[in-house]
Formats: sequence, structure tokens, C-alpha cells
Amino acid sequence: MTTPIEGREGRKKTQPPYLFPGYVSTQKRGPLKPLILLPENSSSLFRPVFGRDSVRPTDADLTRQHAGEPLGERIIVSGKVVDDDGHPVRGALIELWQANAAGRYHHHLDTHAAPLDPNFTGCGRLLTDAQGAYSFVSIKPGAYPWKNHENAWRPAHIHFSLFGAGILSRLVTQMYFPGDPLFARDPIFNSIPDEAARTRLISTFDWQTTKPEFALGYRFDIVLRGSKSTPMETDHP
Amino acid sequence: MKLIPTASQTVGPFFSIGLAHMHQDSTKINSANAQTITGTVVDGDGRPIPDCVLEFSTASSFARVPTSVEGEYSVNVEAETTLCEVLLFMRGLLKPVYTQVYLCDAAKARDAITSKLVPQDRIGTLIAQPGIAAKQFVWNVNMQGDDETVFFDY
Repeated sequence: MTTPIEGREGRKKTQPPYLFPGYVSTQKRGPLKPLILLPENSSSLFRPVFGRDSVRPTDADLTRQHAGEPLGERIIVSGKVVDDDGHPVRGALIELWQANAAGRYHHHLDTHAAPLDPNFTGCGRLLTDAQGAYSFVSIKPGAYPWKNHENAWRPAHIHFSLFGAGILSRLVTQMYFPGDPLFARDPIFNSIPDEAARTRLISTFDWQTTKPEFALGYRFDIVLRGSKSTPMETDHP
Repeated sequence: MKLIPTASQTVGPFFSIGLAHMHQDSTKINSANAQTITGTVVDGDGRPIPDCVLEFSTASSFARVPTSVEGEYSVNVEAETTLCEVLLFMRGLLKPVYTQVYLCDAAKARDAITSKLVPQDRIGTLIAQPGIAAKQFVWNVNMQGDDETVFFDY
């Protein structure tokens, strides 16, 4: 995590491209004309994005949003959000969504023939604390098929959306689980050229946060671009 | 020593599960104080993109809207806004595209600092057209093609 990175050239290795032939949908949706380089100091990049929302404690426990408990392996996911100088990003809004334990999303367009779970929506949100830390309870999502290629399956993952200080730090990503046999053939995971950068999307199993008789702990730390951390929660309107 | 930022991944087709809570509720907007931008987001074959979410940021506001099954969106921004920073997320984009839209007359937009970086023949893709009523604008986004919208590297 402390390897130096050199601007745009470095990002070509550690971020996915717009066009990645293995991920078929990129072919008609990724821009083809050259991108216009914005100066690194362009004021537009430092304009804040106001991704702020009221968050209730139950929003960070995806197993307690219905009358009963969802089926599946209970997990606690925690980690720290820092900027690229290593400073904690405080009060950052994290939005989460995921499939249920059977690999089915609570979404009308998901036609996978796996059961819906009446006790699981798969939606969460929370704010990082004063140390940039976050933690939420959920169930481990299942792998699911998609139609990208013959016998295509997505490795189990949780979608993360994060708001830091501005446009630069806006991030949507996916957290994976260690040891998934589907990594090798997943074009979305493998769209990131640099192996170390790819591997950092895989959470680590964590005894420290594993709760006896309750849930397995996974750790997933996140680095946002940009060095100005978001205002303290108390500054929010 | 800078840390390497976490890699981006696509929002996929089911982002509304996690993102809908912040979709703009246009029924709560006082239209007297707002401008409305509407438009269609289309792919390289000219087909509307029904699973896109757009985020409009100005100096003082933020609005997130999804596209409809017809690929159409509608967003309200504050009345004085002349420039929005826009991020688009969708299935098929492994990272968002970043663009801008000007809500002012074309001459003014062409004078704006950022647009000086943009080739003359593509500047028009960043300028919203006046709509049928006052304070209404139309701005379409073409992901590819002859009229591909200008996207910025950042």
C-alpha cells in the first residue's frame, strides 16, 4: 500500500480501463475518443461533492432490517478509509449493496433462478468515524451467473460507494472474499492490470473482529484519491 | 509517500438497491428556484442506456438521478447554476466518466476556462440546449460516436 504511484501513468496500472474486451458491455459504453486532460490543479476537481445522508444505526446492520433474520453466513466487515496521504477520511458516507446468500439481488431485473430472501434487501449505509473506521454486519453474498460469456459467474462481492472530499475521491468499487475460485475467470476483477492493486480488493479474514458464537470478521481498507479529508461530521449542514 | 488509491469497479446493473435512497426527489423541489435538465444517455449504437446513474455537483449542491427504461433522466439544479460537474456510472463502465455541462449561452460557455482545453468542434457536447420553457435545458450524453460527449481524464 506504500508503493509510490506516478500520476496518470501509474493509474493506468492500478485502475481499470474504460475498454476491456473481456467485459463485453464496455465495448459500446466506454468512451472511444481521447479524454481531455484536466490540469491536476483544476478547481473543478476540488469542488466538494455533497454525498450526505442521514444514517440510522440499523442501516449498518443488513441482518436487522426485516421481521426475521436472513439466511446465510453472518459476517462483520470493517476497515479504515484513508486519503492518499494516509490521513483518515472522517464522516465519509459509505453506501453498500449486495446479493443475498443464494446469489440473488433484491432487484426486479435480476432473473437468476435462485431464491429471494424475504429478510434480506442487501442495502446498507454508514459514516466513517473520527478515525476513518467503519464496520457493518451482513451475510456473505453468494456467487451468481451472468451472461457475459459462456458459463460466466461473478465471484462473491459487496458493492461499496464512497464520498470523500471531492470529485477526485468519489469511488465505487467491489469488495471480494479471500480464496474465491472464480477470480481467475472474472473479467471485472481482472480488468485491473496490476496484480497488487487487484489483490487489494480482496478482503482478509480477521480473527480480531470475528465474534465468538456470532459472526466471521473480514477486513477491507480503502484509500481514496485526494489529500483533503472531508469535513468533520459536526460541520455537516 | 503517496498511497495507491483503491481500484474502481463497475456499479453493475443493480446499483439502485444501494443508491436509490439519495435519488433526487423532484416532488420536494420548489420549481421557482430550480432549473431542470433533461436528456437521454445513449451507447455507441445509439441505443438508450437504461441502467445509468448520473451525479450532478455544483459549488453548493449535489443531485443523483438514474435513467429510465428509455435512457432518460431529469434533474433539478439551483436556479443560478451555470456549470455542473457530472459523473456517470453504469454497467459496462469499470470507472465513472467525468464530464461537465454548461447552463448558459453558448458564447459564455465557450469562454469558460475548462472548455478552452476542449477542441472547438466538440465543445457543443458540454453545452445544454434551451428547452421549451424558461429554466429548462436539454443535454444528451453520447458515450461513443461522432457526437461522443467530451469526457475528462482526472
